Amino acid sequence: MPRYLVSRLLQAILTTFGVMTIVFFVMRLSGDPVLLLVPEGATREHIDALRRELGFDQPIWRQYLTFLAGLLRFELGVSVVQRVPAWDILASRIPYTLALAGAALVVAIGLGVPAGVIMAVWRGRWFERPIAAIVVAGQSMPTFLTGILMIMLFAVTLRWLPSSGVDGPQSVIMPAIALGMLSMSTFARMARIAVVDELGKDYVRAGLARGLSPGKVVARHVLRNASIPVVTIAALEIGNLLAGAIIVETVFAWPGIGQLAIQAIQSRDFLVVQAIVLFVSLVYVVVNLAADLLYAGIDPRIRFGRS
Amino acid sequence: MLKRLGFAVFAILAASIAQAQAQTVREMITIDLPNDAATLDPHLQWDTDSYSIYRNIFDNLVTRDASGRIVPQIAESWRQVDDTTITFKIRAGVKFHDGTALTAEDVVFSIRRIIDPALRSPQLSQFDQIVSAEATDATTVTMKTKTPYPALMAQLVKLSIVPKAVVERVGAQAFNLQPVGSGPYKLRTWQRGVGITLDAVQDYWRGRPPFDSANFRVVPDVATRVADLQTGRADIVRQLGPDEAVRLKSDARLQTLSAPTERIGYMFINALAGPTQDVRVRRAIAHAIDRKTLIDALLQGFGKEVDVVLTPANFGYVEGIGGNAYDPAKAKALLREANAVNASISFLTSPAYDRRLVEALQQMLQEVGFRVDIQTMDHPTFLRRRQGRPDEAGSISLGRWSCACQDADGVIFPLFRSGSIWAKYANPDFDKEVDAARSTLDEAKRLVHYRRAFEILREDVPGLGLYQDYAIYGARREIRWQPTANEAFFLFDMRWQP
Repeated sequence: MPRYLVSRLLQAILTTFGVMTIVFFVMRLSGDPVLLLVPEGATREHIDALRRELGFDQPIWRQYLTFLAGLLRFELGVSVVQRVPAWDILASRIPYTLALAGAALVVAIGLGVPAGVIMAVWRGRWFERPIAAIVVAGQSMPTFLTGILMIMLFAVTLRWLPSSGVDGPQSVIMPAIALGMLSMSTFARMARIAVVDELGKDYVRAGLARGLSPGKVVARHVLRNASIPVVTIAALEIGNLLAGAIIVETVFAWPGIGQLAIQAIQSRDFLVVQAIVLFVSLVYVVVNLAADLLYAGIDPRIRFGRS
Repeated sequence: MLKRLGFAVFAILAASIAQAQAQTVREMITIDLPNDAATLDPHLQWDTDSYSIYRNIFDNLVTRDASGRIVPQIAESWRQVDDTTITFKIRAGVKFHDGTALTAEDVVFSIRRIIDPALRSPQLSQFDQIVSAEATDATTVTMKTKTPYPALMAQLVKLSIVPKAVVERVGAQAFNLQPVGSGPYKLRTWQRGVGITLDAVQDYWRGRPPFDSANFRVVPDVATRVADLQTGRADIVRQLGPDEAVRLKSDARLQTLSAPTERIGYMFINALAGPTQDVRVRRAIAHAIDRKTLIDALLQGFGKEVDVVLTPANFGYVEGIGGNAYDPAKAKALLREANAVNASISFLTSPAYDRRLVEALQQMLQEVGFRVDIQTMDHPTFLRRRQGRPDEAGSISLGRWSCACQDADGVIFPLFRSGSIWAKYANPDFDKEVDAARSTLDEAKRLVHYRRAFEILREDVPGLGLYQDYAIYGARREIRWQPTANEAFFLFDMRWQP
């Protein structure tokens, strides 16, 4: 087990490093922020002088070495646009992103998994169709549309919820639903497939033959076995929820990392983009690692097979 | 009778309660901006959202009144000593938020700070004609420029005064996060990405500010900003499009506030490369464009036709230059004459420009016999190509230019003076006029030079004025405010009137 962990960790560091390198070069090859910073009418001399002052006139490999040296010292640099350490800018957004992702995950799992189980256990019953329709709708409606529609209905017309921003728990409801709907569909489909798969296995028939009620068989045995693929999906979805909230955060003016990412990319604020990429890749890596460990907890076969 | 009396009493009561509520609720004004401030240090960042906030925290050396005239603020008066020297009398009795008095030393410090290359201010180009600033006595500042510089006062409208002692004590980074100014509002909190709250300075030298506090919120999506207005979460929102402005009309509680700005919507035409090197082709482009349709159909009237690359809000604007009016028959004839029917011209654009405008122009040009190839790229790439070599700059592109100085020198000089990064045009006669206009302080002479310069541009067409841009705000009915040509957002000039 420790060896497994160490190799996974090395893998994770390598992955993160690779992602950072790619982002570093792609960002720089597409132009620097100087042209966006100067007012209109600045002359070539002013532009060149500012470029020199900010260090963007250095050869790209030297900039890369500087960046690596900083990374080794856990320094992400100072944003050239905001003149504040990139880490401070990122850190102020993380709580909002975690809150939104957490709430969205509650929506996704809380609705998705029961919907999937119901569709699997009561296959072919009349209510499977409408549930399936909702699941498909959640997957195919673009978030910017559901977001605006929800604002129109719940904020402008009914006045139940605030239209934007962060003031208390009620503010997270609409963004969480808008963001969670897509994952909800994924969870529902995965849960349905996994449960259908398990229902056909021998132990289910054996349990029923021993006189257990179908409800007990499903609750005690099927769900536990079906949860492995759901946990895998959950790991991937958490990554998506943390990194993929750009549209939702823009529509609802939610000050998370997605919104920051789009602003930083538009203004070519390299150091902030790099900080975001570093954070998101670390989240992916850590969550996937956690999922691997969780399998072992859920399924003794994995636990004993490995050690 | 009794019933009617009861009703009247009830109505009066209800009205007075509503009145009381209106007054207490409006202690705070809430403003939706599309972006967070990049910096609150006024010498560091230059974008509309940042200065919409920090201009309320700081006073400027001079400012513009509602009619656009340059009037005193921190400088009480000024005197041109000779062509390159000007002295400012600094107002007494102005206090920074920390209680210390604003002195001539602070003004000198502010000027020296922004022209110091080590500060890396992107605004350096606006102030670098200033070579020195000195406090000649306790209330006098003497400033010298490299050469006679007619746009100096227009640039100083943007010079915010920062406290020397505080900046030196805390350093630039801390000052950016905890700015101290002398303006009508002081910073209470800055929650990055969420918003900024300001508190009124009750003993502000110009009088009591109209709102006890102001909450600037960051709302990137324009549809959400409109929803915030409709639900009462925001009292005023910045940067609406023409379509949203029209939509607000259906809501009796809301209003659209707009003003023609100093920003000029123009088309660049490359005179140094490609088919547009031929002046007849450039004139054909000019005659193919129907500005009125663009403004009525796409801008919903939020734009004003212009026939030069300058707005009436700028010094140097000359009425009635004429020429290059919409005339498709003439455009077709010119194209035939130039042997350029079906000439292929490239139209460079980026997401910063309204796609519908780009496509409408494409269609107008195709109708007279051009083939127009729209090339879309990200904005930094667009800027790099537009400012780069003539053969990379494309045949035509759009621009929305504002020098934030309301002077022709900040517009047609960088756009068309040969040698400038934006110019894809070279005409020594034009250069002579704009050079002369920037080196004399005599306004009448300057106007003569600019008239000649615009007449040359009318014949050579290296660019085409399309419309004067409007700034559009959405607001609650109760807000009384007239937006200005320089897109200043001074809370102090607003009033709440239920």
